[in-house]
Amino acid sequence: MLYDLRQADPRLKWLVTCLLATFGLAYLFGGWMVGLFAGFTPHAVAVTYASPEMHMAMPPGKTVVVEHPMTLQEFGTADHHTVDRNLLVQDTHVHVPMYGVIAAALGLVVLGLDLSAAWGYALITLLFAAPWLDFAGMWLTRLVSPHFAVLTFVGGWAMGAAYTVVTAIALWQMWRPYRGAMP
Amino acid sequence: MRTLFLSAAAAALLHITPTVILVKRPDAVQQLLPGADQFFARELHLSNVDAHRLHQLLDWSPEDGVLTFYTGRADAKDVGTLLFVRVDTPHGPVEVAVSFTPQHLVRGVIVTKATVETRPWVVEALRAGLLDHYRGLKPTDVPGGADAIKNQVGELADYIAQEVDKGVRRALVAMSDFAA
Repeated sequence: MLYDLRQADPRLKWLVTCLLATFGLAYLFGGWMVGLFAGFTPHAVAVTYASPEMHMAMPPGKTVVVEHPMTLQEFGTADHHTVDRNLLVQDTHVHVPMYGVIAAALGLVVLGLDLSAAWGYALITLLFAAPWLDFAGMWLTRLVSPHFAVLTFVGGWAMGAAYTVVTAIALWQMWRPYRGAMP
Repeated sequence: MRTLFLSAAAAALLHITPTVILVKRPDAVQQLLPGADQFFARELHLSNVDAHRLHQLLDWSPEDGVLTFYTGRADAKDVGTLLFVRVDTPHGPVEVAVSFTPQHLVRGVIVTKATVETRPWVVEALRAGLLDHYRGLKPTDVPGGADAIKNQVGELADYIAQEVDKGVRRALVAMSDFAA
């Protein structure tokens, strides 16, 4: 253990608590935003990030007319928020550095916890692997196959799980009452 | 530090606010093609010449080069035609649904999508009665909704009303040039 959060100055414990609370708030709104603009199932993620299937690569020499019947419900499919390649480039550029900073901050908290080295490695790896999976899933869904949406699904939940585990252990180890403590 | 600040500013500037659905497409269809129980999509995959003409005339390139007319029928009788037209603004896209009667007169217009940023401007323009000024237009007419409400709204609502005018104009030209 590089340092011990259990024995740390109360001000450091308070700093870590505030940091975790702020991340928690950001994650809650992040989850809300995902619900609004993508969805919580691999199918919804695939609809958001996959390339449109019907696409004519080259314009025809003469305007071509195709007519087909459709249902009222089918009009609703266009209401789903979609992310094209340019927006995905922008999202990746903006989000990945911030995810890195969040993972690093949570990783520093992990270093101060009373955990075995194996658990430390596992949690730190999970903190960084989750956003990698998230964005790898988006890009592979866009470029290769909608089936890769499952990676984004797993990555997103892994991010939430990693944060929850680190926060729960940190708060427990920092603030749990112990016998003989001063009132 | 300066690089960091400039990067943050660039990221903020490039971040277009998310799209907001004001009216879901199925609801817009039910309002604009009243009574229709059968729907058809007529997709025109535009040739280079037609696509270029639209671009020159209206500064408009339909998504993926496909112009889609939706028609509604009730008991095999034509109820009307509907187009969804997207107008890209520096503040994100605005989508308008424009419907026509079987006689090719505008039956109604609904703004179906805006962005978090433009939504209040759209709402202000709608409250001033913007959409009332499109009813009955012929495909050869020029929409003047923005001019009609100019004195009742602020600058930003006036700006977005001009964008809605642009969307309606695109639908009118599409109807006059490409509708069967």
